[in-house]
This record gives sequence, structure tokens and C-alpha cells, in this order.
Amino acid sequence: MLSITDLTVSYGPVEALNGVTISVPRGEVTAVIGANGAGKSTLMRTLAGLVTPAAGQATLDGEIITRKSPEDIVRMGVALVPEGRSTIPELTVEENLRLGGLWRPKADRRTTQAEVFDLFPVLAERQRMRADTLSGGERQQLAIGRALMSNPKCLLLDEPSLGLAPLIVTQILHLVRRLADETKIAVLLVEQNAVTALRMADTGVVLNLGRIVQTGPASEIASDEKLRHAYLGY
Amino acid sequence: MTSFIDYLIGGVSNGAVIALMAIALVLIWRATRVVNFAQVGQAMFTTFVALTVQTLTGSWALALVVAMVAGAILGVIVQFLVLRPMRRADTSGAIIATFGVLIALQAAVGMIWGGDAQAYPQPFDNAGIVAFGRIWPISVYDFVVIGVTILLVIALSLLFTRTSIGLAMRASAFNPEVARLSGVRVSRVLTFGWALAGVVGAVAGVLVAPSSTVSPTTFDILLVFAFTAAVIGGLDSLVGAVALGVFAGLVISLVSGLSNSGNAPVVALVLLALSLITKPDGVFGHHKARAV
Repeated sequence: MLSITDLTVSYGPVEALNGVTISVPRGEVTAVIGANGAGKSTLMRTLAGLVTPAAGQATLDGEIITRKSPEDIVRMGVALVPEGRSTIPELTVEENLRLGGLWRPKADRRTTQAEVFDLFPVLAERQRMRADTLSGGERQQLAIGRALMSNPKCLLLDEPSLGLAPLIVTQILHLVRRLADETKIAVLLVEQNAVTALRMADTGVVLNLGRIVQTGPASEIASDEKLRHAYLGY
Repeated sequence: MTSFIDYLIGGVSNGAVIALMAIALVLIWRATRVVNFAQVGQAMFTTFVALTVQTLTGSWALALVVAMVAGAILGVIVQFLVLRPMRRADTSGAIIATFGVLIALQAAVGMIWGGDAQAYPQPFDNAGIVAFGRIWPISVYDFVVIGVTILLVIALSLLFTRTSIGLAMRASAFNPEVARLSGVRVSRVLTFGWALAGVVGAVAGVLVAPSSTVSPTTFDILLVFAFTAAVIGGLDSLVGAVALGVFAGLVISLVSGLSNSGNAPVVALVLLALSLITKPDGVFGHHKARAV
């Protein structure tokens, strides 16, 4: 389980996150929703070790992950798929995947790669192709596949729907749901696309200007009209 | 016509050395976006180390190996002492710092080995090969130079395409953030890159030494040619560095042979200027714009 406690992040005088507390149990999908500038990406980048928090901490199964390097956090079992389809276009599909588990023993890497190919068959078909020949949806699958290659206990997904067609978004989010159900990974998902995200998540967290305004079962948050009008703008 | 072909043949081994030095520049550029002007200084330093070993033991091969090891160590030292502290400054600051390292290395060599030009012993026969009833403008030593270069280029391409460290180096060069998020210890990979470039530069230095002399500044001209080759080749491209390095060797040989060797650097700089005007990304460079 990923536990985030009182996490506060400042960029100079600006507080991007203020006392954020979230629990992400294994096998569940927690969706953090909120408008642009709510602090969603900052939350993800802090958990992955790219940003150092001013206060608070995050733990994975009791081990503190905050204030560690991204390289160590991946090894501890937290993998981030950053915003904007984070594949390396100059590398092949297979190389992008291999990269995700480069630090692991070869045999483990092979096993995980087979699992990733099961989950995303299209990646198996395109193994030898350069990542920049893939479509947007395929590239997002590759980005998630790369993160899974580290065999994480917790997967962080930053705006996986960005720039994808609605049908593809639904497909990707369904895969994420399946992943949580089948592998018991804890999934923390950040989305601007609140409707779709809440439909498949277990828990919803509404973030506004760096503070949590509401936490609850995803279905309740989705049906709370006042919340929708005030923070989600629909 | 015969002399034209002779000049071309004579330029190949010179081009091989330029290609190696250009590869060293490209390795550092790809990983750090810094042009390491100290590379020839490092190569000059390690060539003096090789000269000392060669004088003591008489073994050319041992001297080459020691120079390679020294090149790796010196590359790591330069990175740790100069480039790491400069990391937060912008890259133009780091590039100027490499000039500082070059001057410091030249001064250090002057203090240790003296400022005079010294002859580097000729390890193999340097006379033109006699075949088909004439003397060709290429010697056994030229074949050694070309052979060592080919071996090194093959070894490098295998390293980059077939090994984990090679994949980590490419990923770190293309997108350090994604590499770190994948668990690659990017700063260690960069250090390895500096060591590798140091090795390649050291080989270039030892190979070119017998055909010139060694002094603190003899290799400066090699920097001009290697830099030109690397930039025209696209700076990002190892293939470009090799192709344009050899091409530069041929051009220099032709210009020196048909006019005067003093004109070669001028021609190189004219080619560099033309390339930057007409094809700023280089012949083998890929365009930087990417879809987001």
C-alpha cells in the first residue's frame, strides 16, 4: 500500500501541494482529479523522486520513498508513467521495454516482458519497430509497459488520456483496471478527464490549488453535483 | 590522375585518426551536450604517457594499452573535477571550462615532459608498400591504423546496440528523465561515457603520434579537423563522425598534396561554415523537432 501523509511541496514562494494525505491500497485504482494547476503532476513527480517535498512523506508498505532518488524509488517498487507518452522515440519498442527493467536480472526481465506482451499484444507485434512509428494509443501502452518492466508494487499514471481519442482512452483505462484487479498493483491515476477516470476508479480524490477538497468512493464523487460544478467544471 | 588517387589513398589513415577523435567528441556531446575541447589535450597527455611506457619497455602494444587506461582515468577525472561542478551552469559555461582544461593539460605536459617536440618511435614499417611494380603511398603502419580504427568502431557499435550499458547510454542521451525513471543511474552512465571517450581519444593520439611529433600543442590541429568532421557529421551521429572523419582525411590529403599543407585547416573551416549554412543539423544528424 502506498501511503502519502501531509505532503507539502513548494516551488519558491508558491505552494504546489499543501498537506496532501492519500492512501492507495493494493489492487485498487485511486484517481486524483482536478483542474489544470491543481498540483496533480507535482504530486506524481514528488512520489517518483523528481521533486523534493518541503514537508510530509510517502511510504510504500511502510518503507519511506520520499527524498530518495528516482533510480532508488523504482527499485523499491514505485514506477511512474510521466505525462505525454514517455517513450524514447529513437529506440525500438523492445529496447524501450528492456530499458524499464535494465537493473533487474535477465531472467526476471524476460518473465515480466512476456507478461507485458500478454497485456499489450500490439507491443509484441511491433517489437522491432522504432517507438516513433507507433500510434498515440500504442505509445501510451508502451509507456505503461516500460513502467511495468520494473515489476512495481505501485504504478503512478500521470494523465494517460492526454491527447488520445475517447475510444482509446476507454481502452487504456480498462487495461489499467484489469492490471489492478489481476496483479494487485496499487494504481494512483491522475486525470483531467474526470468522468472516465472516476468510472473505473475505486476511490476519487479531488485536488484544488494543492489541497484535497474531497476524498471518497469514486461513484459518490462522480455523482456529487456541487463538487463537479465547483472544481471539475462540468 | 595517378597523383590524385595517391593523395586519396594516403589520406585514409589520417582520416581514420580524425574519425576516432570525432567519435570521442560525439560520445561526449550526445551524453552531455558539451563539446569537449579538452579531448585533444587528454589525448596528448595520454600519448606522452604512452611515449614514456614505450621508451621504458620498448613495447608499442603495451604503450597503447596503458594510454587507453590512462585515457579512461583522465576522462573520469576531467568529468569529476570540472564538468560535475559545472552541471548547474548552462552548457556554454561547461564548454568554456573544457577550454580551460585543455590549457591546463598543455601546461601540465610542459612541466612534466618539457615543451619541446619529441619523436614518437615508428612501431611498424612506414615506407610505402611496393606492389604491382610501383611504390604505393600507404605503409604497413597505415594498415595498422586503419585496422585498429575499424576494430574500435565495430566494438563501439556492438557496445551500443548489444549491451545493457549501451542501451543505458543511448537512453540517457535521448531522455535522461525517462532513463532515471526506468532505474538507470544516469550520472554513472555519463561517467562511463567520459571514460569511453577518453579511451577512444587516447587511441587516436597514439596512432597519430608517429606520423607527427608529440609536444603540448601538436594535436591542436587534430581538434580543428575532428571538430569539423563531428559537426558536419551531425554531432549526434557516430556514423557521421566516422564518415566525415575519413572524408576530412581525404580532403586534407588532397589539399596538402595539390597545393600546400598550410591550406588544409582553411579548407576545413570553409567546409564547416558551408555545412552550418546549408545543413545546420549535419549530414547524418536527425532534426531535433519532435512531436509531443
